[in-house]
Amino acid sequence: MKHTNRKLLSVLLICLMILPLALSGCAGKNKLVIGSKDFSENILLGELLAQLVEAKTDIKVERKLNLGGTFVCFEAIKKGNIDLYAEYTGTALTAQLNRDVIADPEEAYAVVAAEFQRQFGVSWLSPLGFNNTYTLAVTDEVYQTHGVETFSDLIPIADQLVFGAEHEFFDRQDGYDGLVETYGLTFKGEPQKMNVNLKYQAIGNGDMDVTDAFATDGAILRYNLKVLTDDLGFFPPYYAAPIVRTETLERFPELEAVLDLMAGLITDAVMTELNYQVDVEGEEIADVARAFLLEQGLID
Amino acid sequence: MKFAEFVGKNHQILLDSLLRHIELVTISVLGGMLLAIPLGIWLTRHRRLAGPVLALAGTVQTIPGLVMLGFALILLGTGMLPAVVVLTLYAILPVLRNTYLGIVEVDRGYTEAARGIGMTDLQMLCSVELPIALPTIVSGIRLSTVYIVSWTTLAGMIGAGGLGDLIWTGLATYNKQYILAGAIPSALLALVLGGLISLLERRLVSAGVRRARV
Amino acid sequence: MSAISTELLQGILQHLLLVSAAVGIATLLGVLLGVVAYWVRGLGNVLLLAAEIIQTIPSLALLALLMILFGLGNTTLVVGLVLYALLPIMRGTHTGLQNISPHLREAARGMGMSRLQRLFGVELPLSFPLIFSGVKIALVNSLSVAVMGVLIGAGGLGGIIYRGIQSLQMQRILLGAVPVVLMALLLEYGMSFVEKWLTNTRRPQTHPLNSPEETI
Repeated sequence: MKHTNRKLLSVLLICLMILPLALSGCAGKNKLVIGSKDFSENILLGELLAQLVEAKTDIKVERKLNLGGTFVCFEAIKKGNIDLYAEYTGTALTAQLNRDVIADPEEAYAVVAAEFQRQFGVSWLSPLGFNNTYTLAVTDEVYQTHGVETFSDLIPIADQLVFGAEHEFFDRQDGYDGLVETYGLTFKGEPQKMNVNLKYQAIGNGDMDVTDAFATDGAILRYNLKVLTDDLGFFPPYYAAPIVRTETLERFPELEAVLDLMAGLITDAVMTELNYQVDVEGEEIADVARAFLLEQGLID
Repeated sequence: MKFAEFVGKNHQILLDSLLRHIELVTISVLGGMLLAIPLGIWLTRHRRLAGPVLALAGTVQTIPGLVMLGFALILLGTGMLPAVVVLTLYAILPVLRNTYLGIVEVDRGYTEAARGIGMTDLQMLCSVELPIALPTIVSGIRLSTVYIVSWTTLAGMIGAGGLGDLIWTGLATYNKQYILAGAIPSALLALVLGGLISLLERRLVSAGVRRARV
Repeated sequence: MSAISTELLQGILQHLLLVSAAVGIATLLGVLLGVVAYWVRGLGNVLLLAAEIIQTIPSLALLALLMILFGLGNTTLVVGLVLYALLPIMRGTHTGLQNISPHLREAARGMGMSRLQRLFGVELPLSFPLIFSGVKIALVNSLSVAVMGVLIGAGGLGGIIYRGIQSLQMQRILLGAVPVVLMALLLEYGMSFVEKWLTNTRRPQTHPLNSPEETI
């Protein structure tokens, strides 16, 4: 009967639709999943690590770059959705471990490395060599008009300035609330909140006057922003390092040595330059990564 | 921190976001209506164009919200303006389609009677077609409003504010409380606004038609 | 450029896989629930209402909530897509079943068919066009909603689009968006065509003994 055939066909079609998903659920545990946060620098670091591992080992790499904010990556690595991503000591210390600021970079690193291992089974590998700290940046216009050099210089004029930052900044211990409280800042109106990558466009358009710039952001140069000094030391140091699930290191014994090849290789200046190539010159992240590794003689 | 505590601590932000959200929705739906209703009426007088125009508007509807916001972001920057532009565009189709269909489906008996007693086109429009089509048009406005409440949550990404801000913050920081603080009010807002306009719809069935139905 | 084309191809495949899996599951569930709604009137109204309420929840909000419950990844996105696809399919099934002439139901009962036999032999086949229509709506909507999957760690074309937004590159946004819109339009028109064919090749069997034109 025609009706039965059509029914059978429909059911078959539906099974075909669902099958691929069911199959893809069987993931192989012989691959390394590298994640990253959702801003270019971190994506670039993820890509660098991925290309390095692919070049130097037989490990199959799966990229889950541009995954989301800090906490998304953190959840993902804790759950094993990703094995590795690049984190910053200051972020780990204050935002994830909820500790107070430690100004000494080595001490901060020691604390986070010990705690991450103890609490989450995640290992911190050697720092990559740069400090991408949160800073405050103002437009050139504000700088020219008010001659501000430090965060404290903002206090008298804060009520004339609009502050804007990415959504994440408003829900971190080392973020907006702590900042304005420590310095006694009252900015004009409501703070602007937007996607992390759009801050610079907004400040360039004049939609806001002050933002939480990342120290190595390429766009600082592009928009000619003035970076201020954190005179009260509110922000901790943010040294970047690859963090890996300890069980992953055990699964791939050759991994740690390979990743350590990057130790100390990327200075503040180098990171800013690479970011500039991606954000301002519009180069492809994969290309910039490859060029850097070639130049360093790490791949050929 | 319990959710109640969270709400108490952040109630100002929550309130501001809610108000901004309502602001964005109101501006966009009104804007959409302003554009869609005259266009819909015009189309009923030029029916051959209706197919293509509605299809075009329908195509805009298939463009994912993130994409439209991306376009607006690049062309107009961040803030409320690009968001309102995108939301207004999205608000157009349901109202346009319902205005057109509402008028086109008016029983021929009524329009012929109107012409028969010597009404001009404008008189017929205002005294016969619009009143009868009104519930359908309002239904379109209701659909539009509910969609826009939903799409406005995306606008937080480009700095427009609204309840989306809370959801975006929660997404970035994997924070359930922020997500709930944004999700629950926006869902409620959609339901409440939809419900209110639905009530209005029922009230608006014109008296003559109601009598005729009985 | 070939790195981009592999990325694009991967994105399209993932997108299609996720959407079709979700709509497949939603069809099974939706038809089932639609049948339940048809059989049990009171429960049916509750189910339809629930589905409608789910639809009203802003998609970003729903996906974010699901992320908290189920974590990041493709599975979470599929759950969200299934939830959104339920209403159109349920409604299509329910309306299709409701539209069947009571005389046909009587006739089937008279022939000694059990409830299930009636369902699979007569009622569902007759409701097919409306169920098909519901599936069409679900598919087209899911294509669009799936773009947001990138925000909860899922694959699909959302990744390319989001990257384009972050880097403010129109070409990248278009690279991801154009396939989505094209697929949506193709499905919309293709399936509408099939829909029309389905309803035309059928006699008005919803009222075969009752059709006013045939009485005279």
